[in-house]
Amino acid sequence: MRSLALSWLELAGWFGLALVWLSQGRSLVLWWQLAAIWAGFAVLGLLTRHLGGAHSLLLPAALLVGLGWIFLYRLRLEWAAHQFSGFVVGLAAYCVGLMGNWAASRTKYVFGVLAAALLIGTLLFGVWVGGAKAWLALGPYRFQPVEFARVLLILFVVRYLVENKPLLRLGGGWAAAKYWGPLALFMGCILLLLAVQRDLGPALLLFTVYCILSGLVVPARKLLAAYSGLAFAGIGVGLLLFPHLRIRMTAWLHPWEHAEGAGYQILQGLFALNSGKVLGRGIGAGMGELISEVHTDFLFALVGEELGFAGVLSLLSLYLIMAFIGLRLADHTSDPIEKYTAVGIVLLWSVQVFMVVGGIIRLVPLTGMTLPFVSYGSSSLVAQMWMLGILASVGRVRAR
Amino acid sequence: MSSTSRKSFTAILSGFFLILAGLIYWQVIADLSDHPLNPRRYDVFRQPRGAILDRWGTPLACTVRQNGDYVRVYACPSLSHVTGYFHQRYGMTGLERTYNSSLAQGQEVHTTIDLALQQKLEALMEGRVGAAIAMNPKTGEVLALLSSPYVDPNKLDEFWSDYAADPRSPFVNRATRGQYPPGSAVKPFVLAAALADRITFSEERWQDSGRVVLSGRTISNFQSQGWGSLTSLEALANSSNVVFAQLAAKLGPRLLDTLRQCGLGEALPFPLGSAAGKLPPAEQSAYGWGQIGIGQGSLLVTPLQMAAAVSAIANGGQLMRPYLVEEVRGGWRLPRLQRPVVYSQAVPQWTAAAVREGMVLAVQQGTAKGAALPGVIAAGKTGTAETLTGDDHAWFIGFAPAHDPRIAVAVVLAHGGLASETAAPLGGLVMQAALEACTQGGMQIER
Repeated sequence: MRSLALSWLELAGWFGLALVWLSQGRSLVLWWQLAAIWAGFAVLGLLTRHLGGAHSLLLPAALLVGLGWIFLYRLRLEWAAHQFSGFVVGLAAYCVGLMGNWAASRTKYVFGVLAAALLIGTLLFGVWVGGAKAWLALGPYRFQPVEFARVLLILFVVRYLVENKPLLRLGGGWAAAKYWGPLALFMGCILLLLAVQRDLGPALLLFTVYCILSGLVVPARKLLAAYSGLAFAGIGVGLLLFPHLRIRMTAWLHPWEHAEGAGYQILQGLFALNSGKVLGRGIGAGMGELISEVHTDFLFALVGEELGFAGVLSLLSLYLIMAFIGLRLADHTSDPIEKYTAVGIVLLWSVQVFMVVGGIIRLVPLTGMTLPFVSYGSSSLVAQMWMLGILASVGRVRAR
Repeated sequence: MSSTSRKSFTAILSGFFLILAGLIYWQVIADLSDHPLNPRRYDVFRQPRGAILDRWGTPLACTVRQNGDYVRVYACPSLSHVTGYFHQRYGMTGLERTYNSSLAQGQEVHTTIDLALQQKLEALMEGRVGAAIAMNPKTGEVLALLSSPYVDPNKLDEFWSDYAADPRSPFVNRATRGQYPPGSAVKPFVLAAALADRITFSEERWQDSGRVVLSGRTISNFQSQGWGSLTSLEALANSSNVVFAQLAAKLGPRLLDTLRQCGLGEALPFPLGSAAGKLPPAEQSAYGWGQIGIGQGSLLVTPLQMAAAVSAIANGGQLMRPYLVEEVRGGWRLPRLQRPVVYSQAVPQWTAAAVREGMVLAVQQGTAKGAALPGVIAAGKTGTAETLTGDDHAWFIGFAPAHDPRIAVAVVLAHGGLASETAAPLGGLVMQAALEACTQGGMQIER
């Protein structure tokens, strides 16, 4: 109890320091937002503890959101303000996650249906933004349904896998295919939907997490081979069908040869990272704002430039700590659905961070996704807060 | 941890370390700062920048703020070959380039330049093509360095296309990179070599009929004038080709050793960079050596080399390493101080003293009469180097006061004509201005 209070005080201290720093040489119009982010997380912590959930995840999450807000503030006031409004909605999303009973048997397959409905809705009624039809408009508000759909999909997949585990484990042949078939068909349709919307990052993320999850629930060599084959086939077909995928591959493999074309963005990201060296150039001293999409896909490069290797090491360690805490929570629950949901959420975060950062440092192709909790994007932040709530609720003793 | 969690965490941890390895490579090991597409390469233009100062602390280049932008302002256009320029579009040159990392961190570069002297030099060289260097012969400090024509670093935007189209190439630093045949200005060093090798002595008598035949070909004096009976020192003063062709022919390849020890044929270490010039091959006929002894043939030198070499004669034979920056200080870095460095013993001390007397004679009654100074004994030597195209190059090298030298100069006027009529008077004025600068500075320029 005491250590918890101390941690939050310490966090308040860090945020205070950040405010003092930010106030130098500029008017701190929105300083209260950073304070409000701290207060919001503190209240969530109290609420979580009151409801018997896991509050330890909130500290690293608060640091990540605070850091993201500071960098968006440094880039453009409006982005920080918009992110803050996303955080406010995120508070509610967290409470939904925390209080909902996501493993309740009565939910059956409703999450899968909801996810499919969201994606089909986007396809039918969506708005084109930046080369992808990934937005739904609700009156004056716009959001990206895929951010929520992938949480729903994880919830659905985990339930399906766990409930049908004995049947899925049957060796080869017709019996197993009968139960794998519908799941594979469903997931295939979902991925196809995402591909048609040109939202390939989330498609790849979902596929990866889905493969790992099914491998964890139903360990089988054959499965692994099948998924690898599918992945290669998918990438091959994708490369044939979508010219922009080929450009991305070129940018990944040969950025120096196409330095002023396809490779431009990734090189600018590398230049930014490289100029940060070990300790960074200091917040506001970098030139990362010259990278296109710096506030979403490339915010990590800006952090690398201004806080250096030390900064990004700390940032990645926060994700690692969150993954560790999340997996520990998964261990502490007796309900397999809750357990694999927790694992699934941790995997969603981790694989996403890997794909984003790996894309920036040319380990994997660029996929154009946000850095969880940090990057600009209110849909993303709300969905992340919701996942945080779900994870915090794991192991909560509830009336069934 | 359960096996599920353990497996997952192992996978996540390996991903984490994979990413860390990549980050260490890109952030710590790789260096992309100089890639042409990296905008940070031009980042220095957005920061305040340290000043470049002259020896008395007067700014030669400093940064001022205009409407929120940093603008670099230069005190003296003719110093554009020293300070260089620092321009968003045209990049950086000179000391701005050499000391960029220090200047970018706010450090000041203290040069050895005397701004007042440089401005006088600028007035003296107005309208001519060539170079002039004034140096402290005892230390190697460069007090003024001028290459004409030059660009005005304050007006690059206005006149860039004119500068680029100028056939006289104002961007070329003739003082450090201009390579000219030295003509008779090489004779002091030929005499030094001959004296050191005991081939001749100061008072040796020569008969000069105005022409001499070496390996079947004739070398003659200027206008084939015969000097009759004259000593080696008088031969230097009157610039007798007859005597010096014979001395060089006797020395042969040993002449090259002395020239090399005087810093010729080698790029001297200098913050602006410098050209090496050219020494002739060691295989020559007697006529070939004779040509080299009078500074023709394939021998090429830079004004910087000649200033350093004549300083060695002035100071008793030590070739001092020429330097331009005495201190870099300010910011959080430790200051860096440049002290005088003896580069090599060019010629023995007694040889230098004898050659000095010959050069004094040249100013008193020889070809360098035009360089005589009121009330001060000066030493000097002219050189008129024949060129394949156009007028001859006119050289003057010298120092003053002859017996306690505080200033050494090297002047070259490209296609300047007869040196005794052009370069020598100019050299005298430069020495005079430099001596005045030494006393007016309130301190003697000596260490």
